[in-house]
Amino acid sequence: MPTSERPVLEVRHIEKVFGSRGNVVHALADVSFTIERGEFVAIMGPSGSGKSTLLNCISTIDSVTSGKVLVNGVDVAALRSEKLTRFRREQLGFIFQDSNLLDTLTARENIALPLTIARRPAREVLERVDAVAAHLSIAEALDRYPYQLSGGQQQRVAAARALVTNPAVIMADEPTGALDSKNARLLLESMETMNERDRATVLMVTHDSFAASYTSRVLFIRDGHLFTELRRGDAPRRAFFDRIMEVVAMMGGDNADAL
Amino acid sequence: MLCKLAWGNVRRAGRDYLVYLLTLTFAVIMFYAFNTISMQIDYAGIDNADMAEFLGGLIRGVTIFLAFVMGFLMVYANNFIMKRRKKEFGLYQVLGMGRGQVARIMALETLLVSATALVLGIVFGVALSQVMTFFTASLFKTQIANFRFFFSTSALLMTVACLAVIFLVTLVFNLRVVARAKIADLMGAGRVNEAIKVRNPWIAAILFVVGIALVGVAYARLLEDGLPLGGTTEQFNAFLITTGIVIAGTLLLFFGLSGFLLRILAFMRGLYWRGLNMFTLRQLAAKVNTVSLSMAVIAMILFLAITSVTGGMSIVNAMNTAAESSCPADFSMNAIYAGNRVVAADGTSETEWVQVTEPLDLMKNVRDESGASVDMSRIVGSSTQVNAYSSTPIGEDTPQVTLLDLLQAIGRDLPAGMEYADVVTQGIMLVRQSDFNAYLAFRGKDAIDLGEDGYLITSDMGTSVADIYRTTMGQGVPLTLNGNTLHPVTSNLAEERIAFSNAQVSNSGSIVVPDRVIDESQFPVETSYLLANYREGLSVEEGDKAVEDLSYSAEWTPREDGRYVAFMGLAATRTSIYESTNSMNGMVSYLAIYIGFVLVISCAAILTIQQLSGVSDASPSCRVLSELGTPRRQIMHSVLTQQTIFFLFPLIVGLAHSMIALRVVVRMVELLGGVSIGSIIGLAVLIFVLAYGGYFLVTYLMSKAIVRDAIRARRRM
Repeated sequence: MPTSERPVLEVRHIEKVFGSRGNVVHALADVSFTIERGEFVAIMGPSGSGKSTLLNCISTIDSVTSGKVLVNGVDVAALRSEKLTRFRREQLGFIFQDSNLLDTLTARENIALPLTIARRPAREVLERVDAVAAHLSIAEALDRYPYQLSGGQQQRVAAARALVTNPAVIMADEPTGALDSKNARLLLESMETMNERDRATVLMVTHDSFAASYTSRVLFIRDGHLFTELRRGDAPRRAFFDRIMEVVAMMGGDNADAL
Repeated sequence: MLCKLAWGNVRRAGRDYLVYLLTLTFAVIMFYAFNTISMQIDYAGIDNADMAEFLGGLIRGVTIFLAFVMGFLMVYANNFIMKRRKKEFGLYQVLGMGRGQVARIMALETLLVSATALVLGIVFGVALSQVMTFFTASLFKTQIANFRFFFSTSALLMTVACLAVIFLVTLVFNLRVVARAKIADLMGAGRVNEAIKVRNPWIAAILFVVGIALVGVAYARLLEDGLPLGGTTEQFNAFLITTGIVIAGTLLLFFGLSGFLLRILAFMRGLYWRGLNMFTLRQLAAKVNTVSLSMAVIAMILFLAITSVTGGMSIVNAMNTAAESSCPADFSMNAIYAGNRVVAADGTSETEWVQVTEPLDLMKNVRDESGASVDMSRIVGSSTQVNAYSSTPIGEDTPQVTLLDLLQAIGRDLPAGMEYADVVTQGIMLVRQSDFNAYLAFRGKDAIDLGEDGYLITSDMGTSVADIYRTTMGQGVPLTLNGNTLHPVTSNLAEERIAFSNAQVSNSGSIVVPDRVIDESQFPVETSYLLANYREGLSVEEGDKAVEDLSYSAEWTPREDGRYVAFMGLAATRTSIYESTNSMNGMVSYLAIYIGFVLVISCAAILTIQQLSGVSDASPSCRVLSELGTPRRQIMHSVLTQQTIFFLFPLIVGLAHSMIALRVVVRMVELLGGVSIGSIIGLAVLIFVLAYGGYFLVTYLMSKAIVRDAIRARRRM
């Protein structure tokens, strides 16, 4: 995979403490990792392991107690209001568990939204939307409203919306959580396409070992610590899935939670 | 326990209840303050018990009507609150609470809010009613002799009764919601994605255009036909059709509004695909399904409020100015002579009438209650008598000059509302130059000289008719009367209102002619006007008292041959005219402001609650927008645009309807006198705008808070 001059995302010794004196919870303790441009990375861990907090901290929705998060070399903690909004708009893309499409807009308009907010010219907006939609094979759904789409289509529209601005990192939070297995596979393939064809860097939080097996690297997190890391290398997806399952079993043995 | 829950709920749902509370409080303030009207009149030192009672009764009736209107508007508003709380009521039932208990919580909540509104409303209402007393005094043109604090128990009872009505109506509807709903539905209410029915924008745009066209047709028809004053069925039917068209047009217009905007903006790609414009428009379009009907209704209600207030008040205003300029004497009376038709009538009347060319001397024909002659010199100092002659000679049928003749000569159409006026059907009256000069002398003006063949048309009509006379004279139209051709003389009296008695419009048009024209003719006397000022040493009160004792029998003493000549017409003192127009002015102003204000705040409250519930429904969208990196300013801008459209459009449509309706009303008013938008109308409009704008501001500020909370709330990741 590509190796560029500087990592897209650097997480340096971050710590997140909730609560006040006497009743302190360390949600994250000394977590560090880097993600290179064009990587597809999953973060796995049981409930309460701190993976959501981690994603919140990276995506600027929450702030860290100590440590640094650098996106393209920019310290996100140093950004305030206007700049932060702009940073989020230009550098980050989001895919949520529920697609969070605006139900009064058509799919096309939903995908176009991040671009119109950034006040790009109409021609460019429409061209870009068409291109992204074609990649994710939702071109035929563009003029429908979200309620006219299947769950899987909705999630792919959401993925297109995240991709349309060419962000530095796309954050996906349990994107397959609300999907049946067929639609989940379709979405994961789309994300693979985004990663391979559009060179998008994707960071996905998931419970699902199957979903994680589509990525090139999996970070395991438990009790706020980085537990271990798996790289897929050239292994086929099936083999990678088995290795992930092994780690999941080792981590807690509580598969019901990890699945 | 239930009380505690209810109290907690009201506090938590404060945002929703605030608007509800605010509106109810306003209603209570208005109900109380206006129901103290008879007491205010009393305290303002207006000595008119009948009028106070009449106005009091009228206000009570209107209050009951408004209470019902408010009740239903509140039900509507409350529906929005209820919709959002279904889940909560479901939860209570899941936790094992019976429906009865849930209903009791509901009732307690409504009661709590109503009671708060009552207390607040009465406190402010009492304060307002004290202030209003001064306003009342100025409306009725009196001074407050000794002001003191007052409280009206009857107004309080009335208000409590009205509030109880509103409370009960609301409660019944709320209980139905609780009783009918299944727990599963209640619990799921938050999750069910309301199916968004999106209307085809093309169809919507066409509907909009059709709506505009219909409204235009209705406007044209109204301007063409005017109000159905003729009283014929065809006129009335035409008016009903016009009303129907305007209602249908208004409905379609709001139905298609968002689709139309969508279509227009979709053509302007640069604008549509820019910022949140498409979001704003789509939100509007989605809401229009549920909201277009109420927007149309609100537009119509605003139209009614604006038209009735400004129309009613300007009519009264015009009457007031007319009254003040048309009271030339302390006391006036007139005698109406037998006309052509009365004389021709055979056997139908027991009295036999005869037309005469010699007028009666009214001063000598006044009787007291016992029927004895009255020595008018006891009362009257200076006096004059103006005799108006018909231009239909005795024995003939057609008048020699009518208004239609003049219109034909100057090539104009008859002004609306004049179709059945005397000057059209019976011709324009004639007045001798000598009588007219005596009248001018009585009023302290210089005499005129018509020469051998001059004429001058005078009237005390408003601008539209007076202008016909001025133009006739200005164009030098010759008139032929009894074989004499007369030409107009120039006189600045043509610009003045010349009234022959203390009444609204006593002179719809009369031609002053040289004496000989009447002497040589067989023109019968039509009306004699006596104008009298009280003698020196007699105060106005004493004079008014003295003429009050005069008897005005319907028929006057017959001549020697037993036939009757004239009967008594209108008698009026200047004081009575002023009093009646002042109290008329006061009453209309009060009713207009009262009805108008309550309607306006009801409309505004509905819009506010609709908008607030819309914003909170849209708050997940706002959060998504924020996560996509939209600055909060931009989101608020979108919300503001939507709300401005929702508040402004009904107002614009209502105003447009009113402008057209008022043009028609103004044409009527111009018959009476000029239209002046008085300070009271200005004040009323200002109050309305402040109320409406106030609700808009509240809506925006509260929306801002909702959006801020929505954005701040952390997503569970």
